[in-house]
Amino acid sequence: MIRRFAIAMLVAVSGIASVSENTSAGDPYAVTQVWQHNYSQNRPWHGGYYYLPTGQPTALVVPPTAHMRQTLSWGVSQNLMYPIHHQFGRSASSPGAAAPGSFRATPPWPSHTDQFGVYYVRGPW
Amino acid sequence: MKKLTANGFALLAAVATLAAAVNQTTAQDLAPGEYIVGSEQVISDTVIGSMPEQSAAPYAGDSVVDSVVDSGSYAGDMSSGSDCTSCNGSGCDSCGAKGKIGGRLAGLSGLLGHGGAHVGDVGSIERSYGSSDLFYNYYTNGMANRANAQMYLSPLPVPPNVGHTFFTYQPFYPEEMLYWHKNKFHNYYDNGRGMNRTRAVYFSPPIRQAASNLYWNKLRIPR
Repeated sequence: MIRRFAIAMLVAVSGIASVSENTSAGDPYAVTQVWQHNYSQNRPWHGGYYYLPTGQPTALVVPPTAHMRQTLSWGVSQNLMYPIHHQFGRSASSPGAAAPGSFRATPPWPSHTDQFGVYYVRGPW
Repeated sequence: MKKLTANGFALLAAVATLAAAVNQTTAQDLAPGEYIVGSEQVISDTVIGSMPEQSAAPYAGDSVVDSVVDSGSYAGDMSSGSDCTSCNGSGCDSCGAKGKIGGRLAGLSGLLGHGGAHVGDVGSIERSYGSSDLFYNYYTNGMANRANAQMYLSPLPVPPNVGHTFFTYQPFYPEEMLYWHKNKFHNYYDNGRGMNRTRAVYFSPPIRQAASNLYWNKLRIPR
């Protein structure tokens, strides 16, 4: 009886431990956060196009737990996945809105999802 | 034996729930990937004013907001007055070297009209409200951006005469609703002697979430 009870307890505890491991997402030291921050420092959050209703490349706020974005385009092997590096931060950054003419408009026949001028940026923690 | 087994299961269930509770309390401290933005890292819209040199030393347990500009202001003080309000940070003599650094900031806080309230003066501590960084905006960061975006008033800032809507309660900020997590909010008041703590859990019911995922990711016809 005692042995059965001990086995049941062991199973219950191991089940709880595995659940908590799932919630921690396997990155206890937040290494991917550091990677994403470092990558976001030398590559822009936007593509080369502006969003037509705003005249600026426009950030679409996604949850900070989002990892990847998918781009779609015509042709073979043009549907690509990229990590979402950029995250909204507290510090106000120097170039604000871009001058008119520094980004391209969406072409009349768009051939890529980046050409719509809406780009993902993860929300703050 | 049957009753014994039932008792054993009840005990097991109790132990399991206890273990779950303990697990929850350890997890609610800080999940990995989460961090707390300390008040000394926050560059705020409302800048806390400078203190004179003769002001009292910070109390133990007070969180000093900005140790570069001055060392005597507290989180929770909206504006505790400033020496440099009269010259508006333009580098006059009364400000000294401190005015060079924080003159513009102190001039900003002087605009709030609370000049001359010092911690050392008995009876002249003015009542302060709220947190100084209430509804601060978020921005895209990085060195390679040709344009930057701010998170609120998305997608573009409106002209000043249009006005601005603030969220005045931090747990209801929209960015908190984006993912499953817990958060704690602290408000210091009375020069750091009082603290109000609010704990919020942002939670999505798992069964409803699973059904929603099943619909949106599997069943829905993409169009």
